[in-house]
Amino acid sequence: MQAAGGTPVIELRNFEYTYLEGTPRASEAIRDVSFGIQRGERVGIVGPTQSGKSTIIDSFVHLLRLKPDQVFYDGEDVAASGYDRGRLRREIGIVFQQPDSQIIENVVGADVAFGPTAAGLSAKETRERVEESLNTLGLPYPDFRLRYVHALSGGQRRRVAIAGVLAMHTPVLVLDEPMAGLDPRGRKELLELLTRLQRDRDLTLIVCSASLTDASLLCDRFIVLEEGTVVMDGPVREVLKEADRLAELDITLPEPVIGAREMRKLFPDFPTELLTEDELEAELVKRIGAA
Amino acid sequence: MELQRNVIFGQFVDTGSFVHRMDARIKLAITFIFIVASFLIGDFVGFALVFPLLVLIQVVSRIPIGYLLRGSQLFLGFLIFILAFQILFYTGEVPEGGYLWRWRFLSISTAGLYTAGILGLRVIFLYYVTTMLMLVTSLVDLTNGLELIFGPLQRFRIPVNELILVFVIAIKFVPIFIEEVERLARAQTARGVPFDEGGAISRARRIGRLLVPIFISGFARADLLSTAMHTRSYRGGRYRTKFRQMKTVPSDWAILVLVAVWMTMAWLLP
Repeated sequence: MQAAGGTPVIELRNFEYTYLEGTPRASEAIRDVSFGIQRGERVGIVGPTQSGKSTIIDSFVHLLRLKPDQVFYDGEDVAASGYDRGRLRREIGIVFQQPDSQIIENVVGADVAFGPTAAGLSAKETRERVEESLNTLGLPYPDFRLRYVHALSGGQRRRVAIAGVLAMHTPVLVLDEPMAGLDPRGRKELLELLTRLQRDRDLTLIVCSASLTDASLLCDRFIVLEEGTVVMDGPVREVLKEADRLAELDITLPEPVIGAREMRKLFPDFPTELLTEDELEAELVKRIGAA
Repeated sequence: MELQRNVIFGQFVDTGSFVHRMDARIKLAITFIFIVASFLIGDFVGFALVFPLLVLIQVVSRIPIGYLLRGSQLFLGFLIFILAFQILFYTGEVPEGGYLWRWRFLSISTAGLYTAGILGLRVIFLYYVTTMLMLVTSLVDLTNGLELIFGPLQRFRIPVNELILVFVIAIKFVPIFIEEVERLARAQTARGVPFDEGGAISRARRIGRLLVPIFISGFARADLLSTAMHTRSYRGGRYRTKFRQMKTVPSDWAILVLVAVWMTMAWLLP
């Protein structure tokens, strides 16, 4: 997955950010963050609330008052004067935490069509994209295209928001707390969908979350934030090895890792880098068999 | 895209200064005196006398002047627009040779300039003292102060508590709404509605797109708030007791008297 070397698709260099800088209400969000994300990578940006996740997402498509030389897309400084922000926003698709905020039109079909239309696609292509996106998200096109957005349930609105971003066919997909407010079935479906999409379209996938449960199944690499700084950055299993440190940061650990931490009371060297319950079970059977 | 940068209405900026620590009732009374004075004072000398007091308040409060001015740009722009009309369409009596420029029904006259000048100062004075009151008084203090001042009216079956509650919630919702608009504008920009580009008219048209979601979230928020108040058995007015009692100190009264005398002088002296 991880293409070694080459220009990262998204890169932050010594990124720092203070909201309302220069006013009495200034608040520091990002202290010093540097990382690069390669094309095709599946990265989880995790950390407790107030750690700066959403600010980092906003910085990717220049939604803040960025200073130059901090945020790069394909090696280009997005804050440089004359940089084409419109194109940037057609390359990076973001699904925000509250889906309602990014739904523009009042009717489902029109909303999903918004991005492709704005990008200058023909009516026929747009229609195809809308149909494809809605169907992919389990919102059958004929049933849903004329539905009124505000009359949908929360879970359905989230799917509409995701469909609106998918219809853009962006090479980079960013999701902020995608699983929040979904029931277990909805989570499972979304997880499968994202895994499939990432593979089929060779997406660069970035998932932000305060919970490692879903992110650990979806990502290969974790960037762990705390109070606006990167505290850990590495492959998922490497990061999970330090489960005790993660627990201190107020991040929800995956179930198998929680189980593994309990097991450490019996077996002090019990590994915590477990992704699934099957792995936990296998490890347990091995230990008990040995004992 | 930081709208909050340009809006200070309803904000409370705690610098912990002397003005911040004053009793809220006294601050309300002083604001009331200022408001009355703004109507009574009628010439430039009077306003010139008021000015040093405002400078003093500004310095003591430690609210950065740049923050205040940047937050007032919208208001000042609007005021200039209104005053321009006031001058051009001045209909009062103009003494002989008082016209500087005239074209059909439009004119610029010394009398018009004078009236517009006084009006402008009056409005700025009013705006400044009310804005300052909110910048240096927390909403909790403001509510308590208002309730204590107008509390006696409850004997006459005036729903003082409810009225004040509505007033305070209205003020409190302003910054929340601005935050909401900002969040929406960001999310929609990310989808390709460029809120951060284009001229004034195209920007204004894009704001129109936000109206429906803003209204919906506004109603949802109000609904949530009322449910929260019900579930916690909120009951207003005289049934409530306060944990923190307000206390005036002699310096509060001294300042109240000082302001009253100062304003009377500004009114009567010229």
